[in-house]
Amino acid sequence: MSENPKDFLLYADQLHKQYPDGQVRALGGVSLGIKEAEYTAITGPSGCGKSTLLNVIGALDRPDKGEVFFRGAPLGNQRDLDRFRARQIGFVFQSFFLLPTLTSLENVQIPMFEGALGSRERTRKAEELLGLVGMSHRAGHRPGQLSVGERQRIALARSLANDPVLLLADEPTGNLDSHNATLVLDLLTNLRRDRRLSLLIVTHSPDVAARADRVIRMRDGQIVAN
Amino acid sequence: MYFVTFVLKNLTRRPVRTALTVIGLAVSVGSMIALLGISENVEHSITDSLARRGVDLVVTSAGKTDQLASEIDEKLIDQVRQIPGVKEVSPAMVELIEITRDSGTSINVLVQGWPADNFVYEDIKILSGRRLLAGDHGKAMLGLTLSESMGKGVGDKVTIQGEPFEVVGVYQSFVVFENGSAALPLDEVQRMMARPGKVTGFSMRVEKSHNDPNSSVEAIRQQVNALTDSTGKPAKLSAQTTQSYVDSVSQLKVVRAMAWMVSVIGMLIGVISMLNTMVMSVLERTQEIGILRAIGWPRRRVVKMILGESVILALSAAVLGTIGAFAATYVLALFPKVNGFIEGGVPLKVAMEGTAFAVLIGLFGGSYPAFRAARLLPTEAIRHV
Repeated sequence: MSENPKDFLLYADQLHKQYPDGQVRALGGVSLGIKEAEYTAITGPSGCGKSTLLNVIGALDRPDKGEVFFRGAPLGNQRDLDRFRARQIGFVFQSFFLLPTLTSLENVQIPMFEGALGSRERTRKAEELLGLVGMSHRAGHRPGQLSVGERQRIALARSLANDPVLLLADEPTGNLDSHNATLVLDLLTNLRRDRRLSLLIVTHSPDVAARADRVIRMRDGQIVAN
Repeated sequence: MYFVTFVLKNLTRRPVRTALTVIGLAVSVGSMIALLGISENVEHSITDSLARRGVDLVVTSAGKTDQLASEIDEKLIDQVRQIPGVKEVSPAMVELIEITRDSGTSINVLVQGWPADNFVYEDIKILSGRRLLAGDHGKAMLGLTLSESMGKGVGDKVTIQGEPFEVVGVYQSFVVFENGSAALPLDEVQRMMARPGKVTGFSMRVEKSHNDPNSSVEAIRQQVNALTDSTGKPAKLSAQTTQSYVDSVSQLKVVRAMAWMVSVIGMLIGVISMLNTMVMSVLERTQEIGILRAIGWPRRRVVKMILGESVILALSAAVLGTIGAFAATYVLALFPKVNGFIEGGVPLKVAMEGTAFAVLIGLFGGSYPAFRAARLLPTEAIRHV
């Protein structure tokens, strides 16, 4: 380990991941540190291991070898990774993944069930978050009644439900037109500034990468430029 | 938003499937409630009638599981009356006898052969005409339900096993099957059945001590069971307390067994139906469940969600099934074949049992899909298409 994990909000140390068929090496010794309020973009060709890295960092998947440290503590020692994800990490996906039977206001509240808030506080907080992403006027609409840009903004509000310190986004603008992509990027930038939120974004988009403090390029499961 | 609101909204995703599942389960649960309700009503009716008439012991032939097949010599009744502590003895001959309608069709009706001093007359209400009296021949009384279903009243003639009888009274009893039956003088029934001097059973009232009424009844019960006939051979009487009599009535046993058998089959069908619905539902929502896990839902919350859905489905089915069973018993009670034998309505206890069954169906049927959903790995579930 060349760097001290305690210097970072999150530090990935020599991560290795091979898929079960044994044919594909998704990560081959990836190390990476993310500081508080830092905007990091990961780029690279399809299949280079970007999403796998995001999953391992977000505690959705375990590395075969290596360790992820959060505020200096190894995640491998955490007994409850669900709680860690719920409290510390926000996820934004390319396909939004909003629940179709729920309104925008209700979708934002879904992660809050694992928190300590009561029903009224959940609703109030969800309203605030919808206001933050400029979607208050669509609070009562279901995903099917929203444009793709609006859906992504709702998904962004949902990712902030439990006040995470790190937001992981997998191609957050991948399904958006340029206008909506700019809107979402502006929101992410503002959030980082106002909430001191660390951003780690996997992207193919040069525009997304251009706004980052740091761009990491991956190829064949390894970081080739940082 | 409450968690239960979210669970309810999940069920609205496929309204047709949800409705069909609820209806299917409601048929299972409703059948169970209806059958157990009928069985319970009949038992309750018999127990209630015996209790209200102050009957302490019911006597039939020993070893006869079917009360209609019981046969006791009337002479033994005089011996029973001599036992100290016996207050009253009320013999009867009960038979299923064919009554012919004016249209020519026949129905089997429970006919009660009562002597003129039967204590049943104390509590039946004569709605029109008069009660049967000693010396009556060719006379009959009809229970209210039977009178209405046959369209016969006082002064009309009815044909019972091919013989004409004049209706002298219409009565109402608090016992449902007595309302559906006809009462004839005991000696008329004995003659028609070619069983002179015989009865199918008798009820007894005994004098009970204030301190220990049960032991007074028990002492007389043992004396009745020990009676011998005129030749000194055991009379083979079986005296039972009212509760053990009701528990031993073979027809009731069959009804109870049938009700439980149908209930268990219904429950199995319900569990399979619930399993099918919930497995499909989980499969369709694999990606969503992956997202819920990704945003921090622990496995137990996923289990709660799926079990919550299955239990709500089951409870809805229980409500619908109870309403259906309630209506079905009332409709069934109107059918001529069972008219006067069963009572409409479902006892609360049975409705509660049905609801408990439904919750079990929900829990059993939802368990496997719930644990399957909880086991999903978020990364794989999210990739699921």
